[in-house]
Amino acid sequence: MSILLNRETRVLVQGITGRVGRAQAHWMLEYGTKVVAGATPSRGGEVVEGIPVYNTVAEAVREQKAEASVLFVPAPAVKTATFETIEAGIKLIVVVTEHVPVHDVMEVRSYAWERGVRLLGPTTPGIITPGEAKMGIMPGNIFRPGRIGIISRSGTLSYEISVDLVAVGLGQSTVVGIGADPVVFTSMVELLELFEKDPDTDEVVIIGEVGGTQEEKAAEFIARRKTKPVVAYIAGRQSPEGKRMGHAGAIIQSGMGTPQSKVNALRQAGVPVADYPLEVVELIHKLR
Amino acid sequence: MRLYEYEGNELFRREGIPVPAFAVVTSAIEARERAIEIGLPVVIKTQVLVGGRGLAGGVQTAESLEQVEAVTDRLLSTAIKGLPVRKVMVARKMAVAREFYLGVTIDGYEGMPVVILSSAGGVSIEEIARTRPELVVSRHVPITIGLTLPEAQQMAGEVGLNGGERGSVASILHTLYTIFRKYDALIAEINPLVRTVDGAYLALDAKVEIDGSALYRHSDLKLNLGEHIPNPLERMGQQIGVTYVDLGGDIGIIASGAGLGMATVDIIGQKLHPANFLETGGAITADLLYQAMDLVMRKKNLRGVFINLYGGINPIHEGAQGIVRYIQEHGVTIPVVAKALGNRQEETWEILRSGGVRVATEVATERGVEELARLLEREA
Repeated sequence: MSILLNRETRVLVQGITGRVGRAQAHWMLEYGTKVVAGATPSRGGEVVEGIPVYNTVAEAVREQKAEASVLFVPAPAVKTATFETIEAGIKLIVVVTEHVPVHDVMEVRSYAWERGVRLLGPTTPGIITPGEAKMGIMPGNIFRPGRIGIISRSGTLSYEISVDLVAVGLGQSTVVGIGADPVVFTSMVELLELFEKDPDTDEVVIIGEVGGTQEEKAAEFIARRKTKPVVAYIAGRQSPEGKRMGHAGAIIQSGMGTPQSKVNALRQAGVPVADYPLEVVELIHKLR
Repeated sequence: MRLYEYEGNELFRREGIPVPAFAVVTSAIEARERAIEIGLPVVIKTQVLVGGRGLAGGVQTAESLEQVEAVTDRLLSTAIKGLPVRKVMVARKMAVAREFYLGVTIDGYEGMPVVILSSAGGVSIEEIARTRPELVVSRHVPITIGLTLPEAQQMAGEVGLNGGERGSVASILHTLYTIFRKYDALIAEINPLVRTVDGAYLALDAKVEIDGSALYRHSDLKLNLGEHIPNPLERMGQQIGVTYVDLGGDIGIIASGAGLGMATVDIIGQKLHPANFLETGGAITADLLYQAMDLVMRKKNLRGVFINLYGGINPIHEGAQGIVRYIQEHGVTIPVVAKALGNRQEETWEILRSGGVRVATEVATERGVEELARLLEREA
């Protein structure tokens, strides 16, 4: 049945009246997502793509029983918007926005944890359960329903590896972007736990990159828990020290966060690691 | 965005952390004049955005005005780890009785600030943490609570500080944390904080890095992009709104996402030499891709270009127009291969082909790069 999102999930789009929010709400609806409401302050009463818009998240929750939200809100406004969403009782919040200040991310994460709310991102294309629903900006037509779960720090690499898998007839159960900021709302380990419990996922692909310790912590978890088979690809082998490779969290500092350290940690945990994206397909075949 | 030491000093001074008398100069004459005001002996310190200048000879004492001029002249004509020295700081040399390390940074995985204090300053903190862990204390601080003064005092006590010294160091640590939060810092570090023989506490170095995503709310810092991004191509990237990282090779790259960009660099790097990393982000326009081509093509001795785009949120057909406009206006003759998948891809391919771009239609980037390699072999 996938993780986090399915065709029954009642989705709210925050920032639906903006150019991007409007277009993405359209694509989500077309994909089959149950988009039940939009929220933009002072735009309550409008209708976008047939979806009723409310002034506040609380109204959207009350009137349409929205349970999950995806944000198309500028970076400086993310903190305020997510606090409102958490307070309104939404349990899953996807923050697509890039360049959210790290201190804001830390504050929101702390608040969400106190309230038992799951956030995803920032800098994530979102979540897609192929054939059922998507929350976010990924192009729906490149994915196919299947039994491989994907956890990725990079949006575009989740697309690349998904098209490589689809080209040989392999589909995805759920594809989740955790984002690539120095602090992210949900870790790879938490998603690995969810995929472990999902009866419709057989294998998991981890797509990592230079910077941080997500992949090393995932390796520890995999070794300790003896999880379902996992295959990985780590991008950024040519990153020079001290340079951010596009993503705010993709940087080697004081020798930490190197791709090699991630590759080594994963291999030691028994995870086959591809040297290039297409090799992920070969590694999956070898598992089966 | 990493601040220069003198910018960190100004910040500290403004927020209540004492620093020695100092001035920033760009010539030997200026250095001499400032040294007279500050009083000899002075230290002359290179102002560059890399660490390790001490070992590279970037910090020198000067005991006479002649030495001040000679040292300044010499340092202003050197480079530290490849970065030319354009400014030096002239600072009062202090008689040091004791050195400490104070730092506030972020534990990315836990999503919390970390405060670190050591009663052994002036050396690498990683080294001390390894060899004399009893002299280092570190605390994860819940961001909603912050670092309290009593907690700072407790930390100082844990590394063996007592009495007035404990109070003074704790107070400065507390202020450092306040600065870290107020200025959206990724790291704020004083190594060393010193107690002078006269009993004064001063920061003898300032390492502060501000979150690039938060610069919009710190315009008061008046940070000059040109001075903070030394590489001219990388600076240009920042100015047009893409992330460009200069690498050493001769195959230019444009990608529509950072992960895709890194993977493209890695794949090209298997048999060829990437010239750069470049990602456009999610706001592709014809103009942006025109400017991206312009930027990539500035790298000397480029032999080919690989473009890798996904059109989800991005209008790749518009991007294609910008690429082709650049090619036609500038008469580009080196091979350009593009892989572009997503919304309106067939239309995108037609536009690219009309500009002489070889379109890679297979989904795997590896295949597209193989095509570029074949085209390059034919040229050779």
